[in-house]
Amino acid sequence: MPGRTEFIQTIGKALGRGAGNAGDADIFTTTASLEQEALLARIKTRSAAERKQLRGVIEQVAGPLHIDFHPEDNLDDIAGAIGRLILEKDPEWGTEKSVVRWDHPLLSRLHLESLAELDGVTLHTTDCVSGGQGAKVSAAAQRSAIRENVEASFIGITSADYLAAATATLVMRSRPGHARSASLVPSIHIVVIEEEKLLANLEELYTLLKWDPEEQAQGLTNCLSLISGPSKTGDIELVMVHGAHGPRELHLFIVKGEAP
Amino acid sequence: MSEITSAEYKKVAVDSIADPVLQSALESLQSRLGPATQNLYQNLPEGQELRKTAHGYRRKAIDNLDILLEALADNVEKNGGTVHFAATDKEAVDICLNIARDHDVKKVVKGKSMVTEEIGLNHALEEAGIDVAETDLGEFIIQLADEKPTHIVAPAIHKTRQQVGKLFSEKLGTPYTEDPPTLTFDARKALREKFLTADMGITGCNLACAETGHITTVSNEGNIRMSTTLPKVHVAFMGMERIVANLEEQQSILRLMSMGAAGQQIGGYVSYIGGPAAENHCDGPQAFHLIIVDNGRSKILADEEFREMLCCIRCGACLNVCPVYGKIGGQAYGSAYSGPVGAVVTPLLFGVNNAADLCTGETLCGACRQACPLEINLPRMLLALRAKLSEGDAKWGVQPKGKSEKLMFEAWQKIIKRRKVYDLFLKIGYVLQKILPAQDGMIRRLPFPFNGWTNNRNLKPLAAKTFMQRWKEREGGKQ
Repeated sequence: MPGRTEFIQTIGKALGRGAGNAGDADIFTTTASLEQEALLARIKTRSAAERKQLRGVIEQVAGPLHIDFHPEDNLDDIAGAIGRLILEKDPEWGTEKSVVRWDHPLLSRLHLESLAELDGVTLHTTDCVSGGQGAKVSAAAQRSAIRENVEASFIGITSADYLAAATATLVMRSRPGHARSASLVPSIHIVVIEEEKLLANLEELYTLLKWDPEEQAQGLTNCLSLISGPSKTGDIELVMVHGAHGPRELHLFIVKGEAP
Repeated sequence: MSEITSAEYKKVAVDSIADPVLQSALESLQSRLGPATQNLYQNLPEGQELRKTAHGYRRKAIDNLDILLEALADNVEKNGGTVHFAATDKEAVDICLNIARDHDVKKVVKGKSMVTEEIGLNHALEEAGIDVAETDLGEFIIQLADEKPTHIVAPAIHKTRQQVGKLFSEKLGTPYTEDPPTLTFDARKALREKFLTADMGITGCNLACAETGHITTVSNEGNIRMSTTLPKVHVAFMGMERIVANLEEQQSILRLMSMGAAGQQIGGYVSYIGGPAAENHCDGPQAFHLIIVDNGRSKILADEEFREMLCCIRCGACLNVCPVYGKIGGQAYGSAYSGPVGAVVTPLLFGVNNAADLCTGETLCGACRQACPLEINLPRMLLALRAKLSEGDAKWGVQPKGKSEKLMFEAWQKIIKRRKVYDLFLKIGYVLQKILPAQDGMIRRLPFPFNGWTNNRNLKPLAAKTFMQRWKEREGGKQ
């Protein structure tokens, strides 16, 4: 890394580094505070009733954020509602209707491919590992096929790792099968997420990401996205317009938790 | 950045004040964003104290900048990214040109980034025959118009919908319209093509997190996610000060930044990027380069008086309340950094004497400090710059102003210290002012060397009786 040593030395000199000034030892936090521990415990023991309350919060904030929150809360109804959306909405860039979705267990359980009304619609999956048994497709070829499918699709369906209720913030990590572009390039983004993934706010999210052992093991990955509403701009006379570059619409479905 | 001169500042300021379209745009901006931001601060769940706490986080990061940058670089490299360190603007540009050459890059899409404006990156890329498309709608508009951004967050705030309509119909060949949604769609269509065919995405970095080894980018349009997801190479530029140590600190600062920038609880899209796409992931860039830029920042770091300025996260909140920016607009400030933040940063980065008018032009009213999500004490630093301009400063290479002003103030000090001399001075002034040109009871012009004062305003004449005289009379002649 050329220049790194000199660069850092220049900073050290500017900071007056030397004996007695080695920098703060506690600059990186390595143990959770009592408040953070308590918050973690609260997240982990959240009751179904409390989650339902968070659902209510999302219902309220969705409108101002221009998110279409849908009331359906079981997989069959959600699949039906998504089917209707696919039929009702028009593609922005062409006439053919293609839809792309993540390779994700919850989305597979919607069985969109078995909806009779979607006969004329092509359903793609951003599936990195399939591509035919035996015939091993190269990673590059797979990527370019996924890219082509995403570009051709007018609707992208994804899930999310979490949903922070106060700001309706969806949290998505880059993973095999979870294309980043599926939530970005198609004109309409549909999200289906389980009620168990609801958090109260960003503070809860960051506390989890930072201190929860499972989250620590996973890390943020090379790309973690927080998405709060569809794409928007106010760059012409501060007039709010939705659909600047990303999706014009964001539709949200929350799957109700299993009865205990 | 050679265009920063006193004459230019005055000329552009005068033109801007005389431009009714710009005045109404600035008024609309300030009347909407300023109060929206204040309202969010007042309703912070953690209370306003959070702003002080966040200032503390930033200050601690700056005081440990060497440690944090080393940690960031190590973590990014561990994730498969490449980190470059650029001491100067030229080094930063060259590093980027080399990366472009290595990857045979022909087309670049760019997210809005102040530091790339500062180092003049677009020009260098174009010189090298590379097509560069600014993708933030505001930046796209001013790139088409061949102008400079006039606001940190809303770069094309000085343009009306009619002007944008005319520009698009000329440059994009779309039918003329002045409907913002249609204009936005025209840009969406033109830029979608750019996104899908670009081979390099260039972005800035709002705030890096050292412990995890990620940069963050924030946008509402989604253009930065496009630029960091679709092209095969992602190059991120960051001013070396844009970093914090820990995730939990970043949470507060990103929220405060969104409030200051756009009156939002959190920006629509926040991305954490730590390296190129993993091998088994379906999309994302194959290469990730982070270029960390000094370009004069270490000099600011070394000066305790101005180190606080490195805490700034460039949200632009100070522009939305500044009475001076609200009248003269962004262009007069002569660099990518306008408003109160520019009035401090531009002199420090591009020479205090060159940019003298920027810090003397501000009013020291303190509105910027109140609007700043981190309560950065801009007025204090503006005053410190003025002191350097008055006294000269070897470290910053500041030539002091002429002696005349200083002599005049010394004489004035002598006069006002002696009551009798002062009264006599006022009496003479009262008589002499009668020969000055006046209108409606106001003095219209002062003689040299005070004529600058009355160039743009009239002056109230001295009253026949001083306050002290009237006070004594009211007290019924009591001595």
